[in-house]
Amino acid sequence: MASAALTLPRVMLASAALRLSLMVFGEWQDAHLEVRYTDVDYLVFSDAAASVAAGGSPFARATYRYSPLLAYLLLPNSLLHPAWGKLLFSAADLLVGLFINTILKLRGVPDRTRIWSVIAWLFNPFTFTIGTRGNCEPIVCAVILWILICLMNGRVLQAAFWYGLIVHFRIYPIIYAIPFVIILGNSYAGPAGSPILTQWTSKQHLESDKSNPSVEEPTSLLASLWNFVQSLVTRNAILFGLLSGSMFFLWTGVFFHLYGWDFLNEALLYHLSRTDPRHNFSIYFYHIYLHHQQGFSSIQKVASFLPQLIVQLALILRFCRDLPFCMFLQTVAFVAFNKVMTAQYFVWFFCLLPLILPWTGINLKWKGLACILVWMGSQLHWLMWAYMLEFKGRNVFIQLWVAGLMFLAANIFVMLMVINQHKFTPLFSSSVKSGSKIAVKKE
Amino acid sequence: MAEGSGPWLLAVALLAACASGIAAAASSPEKAGTSQKFINCIPCSRRYVADAYLDTLTGQLAQQHDLTETSDSADLCKGLDYDLDAPVLSKLHRQLVGEGSHRHLVYHVKFANCPDAMVNFLDSYSANLVVIENLPNGVFADPFELQHFVERKVFLDVVVFGDTNLELPSALSNRSSVETHVDLRPSESMNCNLVIDLPLHARYPPLDASGYATVEFGSPDLLIRYRKKEILSDSCFWVLKDLNAAPVEKVAWRIPCGDEAHRGFVSSITFLSALVCSIFIVIAALFY
Repeated sequence: MASAALTLPRVMLASAALRLSLMVFGEWQDAHLEVRYTDVDYLVFSDAAASVAAGGSPFARATYRYSPLLAYLLLPNSLLHPAWGKLLFSAADLLVGLFINTILKLRGVPDRTRIWSVIAWLFNPFTFTIGTRGNCEPIVCAVILWILICLMNGRVLQAAFWYGLIVHFRIYPIIYAIPFVIILGNSYAGPAGSPILTQWTSKQHLESDKSNPSVEEPTSLLASLWNFVQSLVTRNAILFGLLSGSMFFLWTGVFFHLYGWDFLNEALLYHLSRTDPRHNFSIYFYHIYLHHQQGFSSIQKVASFLPQLIVQLALILRFCRDLPFCMFLQTVAFVAFNKVMTAQYFVWFFCLLPLILPWTGINLKWKGLACILVWMGSQLHWLMWAYMLEFKGRNVFIQLWVAGLMFLAANIFVMLMVINQHKFTPLFSSSVKSGSKIAVKKE
Repeated sequence: MAEGSGPWLLAVALLAACASGIAAAASSPEKAGTSQKFINCIPCSRRYVADAYLDTLTGQLAQQHDLTETSDSADLCKGLDYDLDAPVLSKLHRQLVGEGSHRHLVYHVKFANCPDAMVNFLDSYSANLVVIENLPNGVFADPFELQHFVERKVFLDVVVFGDTNLELPSALSNRSSVETHVDLRPSESMNCNLVIDLPLHARYPPLDASGYATVEFGSPDLLIRYRKKEILSDSCFWVLKDLNAAPVEKVAWRIPCGDEAHRGFVSSITFLSALVCSIFIVIAALFY
């Protein structure tokens, strides 16, 4: 009964209405209540845009740590209306919903499952509040999904263009560089020159599907490594690498020319070397605070970087051919092991979550509920101690640090559940040549 | 233990307030005798009063300084009719309101002979109350947040001098100072009893085994800045008069801080958990 009423235009319309009303509510709250609805960062972007509008540098605004492109995008904030940016971010947020639908459609997911996956993004409380509060992440999400669509449609050059731009804009998508290059390897283009997408198969029962010859098993670690080395030297991969690299350096060069070291230090180097001693979800915050007066030894730096590196490499080598799944896991892991973690980073993987839902064996009733409860529960537990520290002035550093460790454990629990219940499905069907190669190796 | 130390701190603060009150009483006759020293003039082009002290703020800040006395423009006052019934402070009360890392420093300012004398004065003069708070290390004011107060016309103007980095912990930052201008307007009966609310934020303090760092505020400088309503274009001066507000009750802010003794186990358990969790993921990937 409900499914008949659930069509994409209706879902889009309802979510647009939800976002608009939240924006209006936000304006009211900002004007009448002491606690603002609008994100502090939105004020930073707006101030930076105002500075640009006045002929100055966006970096004249302290704590503006983004590409000048963002300040340019928000110029209408000072020229037209201060809510312009929120409108733009919410529009990007809706666009992400459309892109999720497009990607799932290309992969042959039936209507009903697709709509529910789109709803998982559009009606996720994390995402609709983040856009309407004025956070720029929905733009990054939209571009990431657009890159995926380009890659699925064989538009490698366009994908490279957007990838170079978005890494300049927000840096973290650099973690997708290796999987992108790998999937552009030998098996990317089919006989007709464009990639062949593996289509969704009906049943979700993992056991029965594992014997299905149409579903490819992930290759062993060693074979993956060999594939990786081989796939680095294809025309598509080289083109992608060259063009996206050039785009990144072009934008970076242009803005370095315009704004000098202010740009390089604030928008780029700051993010690479960021260590925040103030409390945040990261397990490292108290360690950083305890060492901020004396600095960090190189052993400590390696020790905090190593788990991140190991996990990224393992996930890429094992799952990269099921690209959306790999990107989702990479992002969750990247955020979980990062030295700084705030709630806005969660949007980075929430936009990829709907792309893996049609292939998961997790049902909402039990396993799904358990994942949500564990993840949300550990987060609320952390927030309680953070509230005690920040708003009550109680010394609860140890409790807050333990809560951070528990949140990491919750993230790992969810990741293990997701991995365990996922039906591995390569994004692209291998061409006959590479497919037979793998078959020979397995024998 | 933390709660238990509250009354003690209060007692210490009260003692300190009494001591400074006695000191002020002892020094006030001397000040009254040389009242002319505390009146000075600055050209209207100079927007702020405290900017001359920028250098001292970023380096070693002197606890007390007389802003009007050290001005280099004493001669500018000559020929100006400043010896009139400018508003006189009858009461100043300052308190820190709120809990946690974000609090408000609230000033209650009361003028003498108000509203009669004030209304008379404001008939012929434009006047602002200038509050300069030299913030102790460990506390900062957010200039961008304060700017929104100016936009909403809560303050006429506000500026933060010194270290305006909003993110660094105390150990890596310097002190700063906030200068707030409040417009005194004849139409507002509130002028007799002004309430100024300054939002402040705590930095992460240096490590200390006691678990809390106490940050104490010195006395603020309160001045009144006025000029005749009809201004001759070639010579516009603000007359500055020190309201001799100092000293007021001492204000102390207890900020939780990390303990050096935690260093060993926190770092090792943090790294160990990260490593164990990463191994879990690797195993899950290997045996998928």
